[in-house]
Amino acid sequence: MTGPRAVVLVGGGQASAVAARTLRRRGYDGAVVVVADEPHRPYQRPPLSKEYLTAGDSSALELLPQAWCADNAVEVRTGVRALKVSSADGCVVLDDGSSVRADAVLLATGARARRRPGLGADRADDDGVYYLRSRTDADRLRPRLAPGGRVVIIGGGFIGGEVACAALARGSAVTVLEAGPVPLARAVGPRLGAACARLQWAAGVDLRVDTAVQGVRRDGGRLLVVTSRGEVEADAVVAGVGAVPNTELAADSGIEVDGGVLVDDRCRTSQDRVFAAGDVASQPSPGAGGRIRVEHFDNASRQAAVAARNILGEAVTYDEPHWFWSDQFGHNLQHIGHAAAGDRMVVRGSLDGDAWTAFFIGGSAGGDRMTAAFALDGGDDIAVARELISMKVTLADDILADPGADLFAAIEELA
Amino acid sequence: MTQWHEVAKLRDLELRKRTAVTVGDTTIALFSIKGVVYALADTCVHEQRQLSKGAVLFGKVVCPGHQWKFDPATGEAEGQGQCQPVYPVRVDEDGTISVSLSRAGAMR
Repeated sequence: MTGPRAVVLVGGGQASAVAARTLRRRGYDGAVVVVADEPHRPYQRPPLSKEYLTAGDSSALELLPQAWCADNAVEVRTGVRALKVSSADGCVVLDDGSSVRADAVLLATGARARRRPGLGADRADDDGVYYLRSRTDADRLRPRLAPGGRVVIIGGGFIGGEVACAALARGSAVTVLEAGPVPLARAVGPRLGAACARLQWAAGVDLRVDTAVQGVRRDGGRLLVVTSRGEVEADAVVAGVGAVPNTELAADSGIEVDGGVLVDDRCRTSQDRVFAAGDVASQPSPGAGGRIRVEHFDNASRQAAVAARNILGEAVTYDEPHWFWSDQFGHNLQHIGHAAAGDRMVVRGSLDGDAWTAFFIGGSAGGDRMTAAFALDGGDDIAVARELISMKVTLADDILADPGADLFAAIEELA
Repeated sequence: MTQWHEVAKLRDLELRKRTAVTVGDTTIALFSIKGVVYALADTCVHEQRQLSKGAVLFGKVVCPGHQWKFDPATGEAEGQGQCQPVYPVRVDEDGTISVSLSRAGAMR
């Protein structure tokens, strides 16, 4: 079997960048074309809600620098949208009327911010309500996070926390409106959500829980967020209420879609020689107990590397614990794996303290095994959890809970 | 001709198995893994974190900031399509560790 001679990577984010780099590092010497619909060259998104939002420093954003692309013969086409992928015709059709030859395609079209009805922000002009997904979004929002300004954030999730942190750093007064009893309850459970709430309050955020947003009202020049507990006046409103996968290209190409582009454990879609990776891909995950679409940088990287290798004719699968991080209020938060309801939690350190790790342990017929971990400034512990989750084992609860115990030594003894 | 720079002694790596050293403007993380000394650029290729503050697990260097896992010999970041610069290391009989800034030892 001969390998591909023309690979098209659709999307201008992390997954396309990793795929391009992986293809070249694995010795593939055919054509590589990246098709990005944004006006920017491929960039990474994590800094958009962190240092890029705070300071506008774009130096760390670029994923495929021009010099690297020139050296590696990777063509990047920006500001153009892919309309249809056809492996039968061997091409990707673009919205400028042209088409690009392709005998393998990676769909890495990502996701867009979920729009919350009733907020406005549907007009192109600035009306004070913002979403944050793209570099352009961050550039529009940054000047509104001004000293003395009142910033109201809808949603107490990770993006909400990071935007709150950036707004505080820029001198704004920040209110976060969370519909649930604690932020992040769905992601990490009530006790850890409460610990995250304490971080926000300690930093000076006016976090209001059990506060459902009903809409945004404009009264003259005033912007009022209407909630179940009254109105909150704002100079800028930021909604961080999730994301929606960009599945249109796949659907229009006759590729199976169901809450994401459906792929198998090798990142293959239902169409021959078309792969998908990153936020748009929905993949079976034994660790998560079923099909899952993951909106994290690390998952995009790993899926894209797997997809690229399979494009080149390898047969590699992806089943690694899902991992993400958030930087907020001077702390680094990291989460790995998937806890099931009923898993027990073992805490290393004190949840009232400045650094802690919560390990989740599930019982099964084969014995206890670690399923997930969430840490505040505990990246080392997350590295340990990654190994334990992958090994489908755990350590004794009293060792995990003992901050003096060397978990790296304990885990190497297991192997 | 490779230029070697004496940067540490083996005993500096005995206890914690890792340390940071500098040669000119370059900060290098040294790791002792199963009796072999490896040298990698200290600043993580992904973000400005120090690898010398990372951990060693099953022969790989783990950067705790973002959990990237590096092969200490090649610098390859597992599943990331990127490489941490690595440097040639020489250990003399008296335990003196020297590194070279030449990239001759880098695989890619």
